[in-house]
Amino acid sequence: MDTLSALLHLSPETFWMIVKILVVFAGPLTIAALLTWVERRGSAMIQDRIGPNRAAIFGFRLIGLPQIAADGIKAFLKEDLVPAEANKVLFWLAPLLAFIPAVLGMAVIPFGQSFESGGHTYHMSLLDPGNGMGMLFPMAIGAMAVYGVLVAAWSSNNKWSILGGMRASAQMVSDELSMSLAVIAIFMTAGAYDPHDLIQAQYGLWNVVPHFLGFLVFFTCMFAETNRLPFDFAEGESEIVAGFLTEYGSMKFALIYLSEYIHLVVASALIVTLYFGGWRVPFVANPGPWLSVASFLAKTLFFCWVFVWVRWTVPRFRYDQLMKMGWKVLLPLSLINFLFHAFLMFRRG
Amino acid sequence: MAVIVKQVKLSWLDRTYFWPVFKGMVITFGHFLRNLFTSTPKRYTVQYPDMKRVMPEGYRGLHELKRHADGSIKCVACFMCAEACPARCITIRAEEFSDLNLTQGFEEKRPRVFKIDMLRCIYCGYCEEACPKDAIWLRKDYELSAYDRLSMQYGKWDLMNTYAEEDGKARITTDPKPAVCSQKASL
Amino acid sequence: MFLIFALITLVGALMTFSMRNLVMAGLSLVLCFIGVAGLFLLLANPVAAALQMVVYSGAIVVLVLFVIMLLASHEEEEPKRSRPIQRWGSVAAIIALGPGAVLLVKSSPFLASSQVAPPMEVMTLHRLGGLLFKEHLVAFEIAGLLLLAAMIAAVSLVKREL
Repeated sequence: MDTLSALLHLSPETFWMIVKILVVFAGPLTIAALLTWVERRGSAMIQDRIGPNRAAIFGFRLIGLPQIAADGIKAFLKEDLVPAEANKVLFWLAPLLAFIPAVLGMAVIPFGQSFESGGHTYHMSLLDPGNGMGMLFPMAIGAMAVYGVLVAAWSSNNKWSILGGMRASAQMVSDELSMSLAVIAIFMTAGAYDPHDLIQAQYGLWNVVPHFLGFLVFFTCMFAETNRLPFDFAEGESEIVAGFLTEYGSMKFALIYLSEYIHLVVASALIVTLYFGGWRVPFVANPGPWLSVASFLAKTLFFCWVFVWVRWTVPRFRYDQLMKMGWKVLLPLSLINFLFHAFLMFRRG
Repeated sequence: MAVIVKQVKLSWLDRTYFWPVFKGMVITFGHFLRNLFTSTPKRYTVQYPDMKRVMPEGYRGLHELKRHADGSIKCVACFMCAEACPARCITIRAEEFSDLNLTQGFEEKRPRVFKIDMLRCIYCGYCEEACPKDAIWLRKDYELSAYDRLSMQYGKWDLMNTYAEEDGKARITTDPKPAVCSQKASL
Repeated sequence: MFLIFALITLVGALMTFSMRNLVMAGLSLVLCFIGVAGLFLLLANPVAAALQMVVYSGAIVVLVLFVIMLLASHEEEEPKRSRPIQRWGSVAAIIALGPGAVLLVKSSPFLASSQVAPPMEVMTLHRLGGLLFKEHLVAFEIAGLLLLAAMIAAVSLVKREL
């Protein structure tokens, strides 16, 4: 580490910060871009189709991977339409409002085990532990994410869009509560809320076992948070055209779309951190930096795939069904989970 | 018409919702795995320009005007097909064929012009059924397209040659000279 | 840093009541709340900042915007008639009361004592929980009771026939 930073004439801290920034911002972006390919090819395989396999670089098809580049180029070259009656400022702002919270979400999540080198301790998360924000940060950022949808919906000045935006806001309010309760139960049993401490507390037994109910609730809510299929009311293409995205085209659409996939990556990382032991490897006490990063990546990618997998399995809920589920099923379930763990802690003293 | 909707009683396991979703996910993953280990050409999708679908027997595609072994057209310009055609896409102009008469094995009429407007044709196959000489067939070619309307007017020689390559026959553009010793004499 | 966040807060607040458009006003309110969250961070209180984001800008303003969209008041309302007296009166009040408020804050004994106080410990969830459930237990319970009463009242107002 010291030699590397000396080569670049940087202090180790600065060097490590740059590395972390690269990983935390470029990592989810790359995975998100790849996920668009995974989604299209994966859905094709699930539905006995073939999927996009025609895009080629110099005649090499590379199992359809150039499609990502082709889509990006296409999005850049398309005409950028802004509806005449739209609120111009907000219409331009909305993709950014969707994108920034999505990218920020990874900031506190540790993507590997902290290691020591040359007398320094290097933490594998953008914000070092003990920043006082801990897991509250992704929740706060996640709460801001709905504004991208809302602003996009409202500024389009389109009835479908506004319907989509209203659905998104109502959905968010009804899910956020049960999600927070599920997370609070984890804070309570771990006695900490910093992700590093949470992972430390999952030594030996991952949270998914004692918190299985909470995991189910959290997982379900994550689908709603990321606007994924069983709950993608904001888009709902069979009901309200494309919901909040109806008026968007070209790069603005691509940005919103990309941020949705980044959300998916962040949601997977959250699930892994909270319930599946973060960078922990089964039966290995101290995996070290490389193995821990690989383990975290593998788990995150697995959950990204589960998101895709569920999307192509489960049909969309009806809107009132979601409301009923959010308030009458998920909230009581997470309350039960919370009270159960509180009771257990009380019995143990 | 009133329909009685059957109310499905769900068992408690189905009503938990997670169990049916889990079952569904197993099914979709089964499909995923099956396709993952099947090479692309072996899947259901026919990748059209590279692979072509084999049309079933009785498919009604592009017409062919059949010919005898010596290359003369089977059609006798009886206008039955033009009459039967519901789309009115067949145009026939007849001409006298030969001085020899029917007893010597020659038809006395043949089409000078036999034109099918493929843009109007609905590929119903009535012409095929109406033909007394079995001279017009609807076969399996379905790739009919052109850049202008005129190219979709198929004339007599176009129609006689539509399947020439496929059947290994020579392309012909003129009527052969009638000969006495043709096999038609056995009629 | 303080100036940046204070400016964000102030601009957000000003836009909130100067915007004719209700949705725009709601969004400016979010801007204001973000500024306040930043100020909390500067006060070494990340917990309050996160909760500010989750609860206020996350949930409450979303609900407010939801209601605004539901009422479909997308047209900007023109003021019925200009109210010069009120306008000038408010300006006069600001001029008269503003310096007084500044003076009051400047001369308050708390400010003098805080300047010599040691730098604050970072507020964590642990400390917050301790404060709420040990030192200010009665106030916390009273607040909870008030909220419960408000909730029951809201339900009974909405559901006329129970």
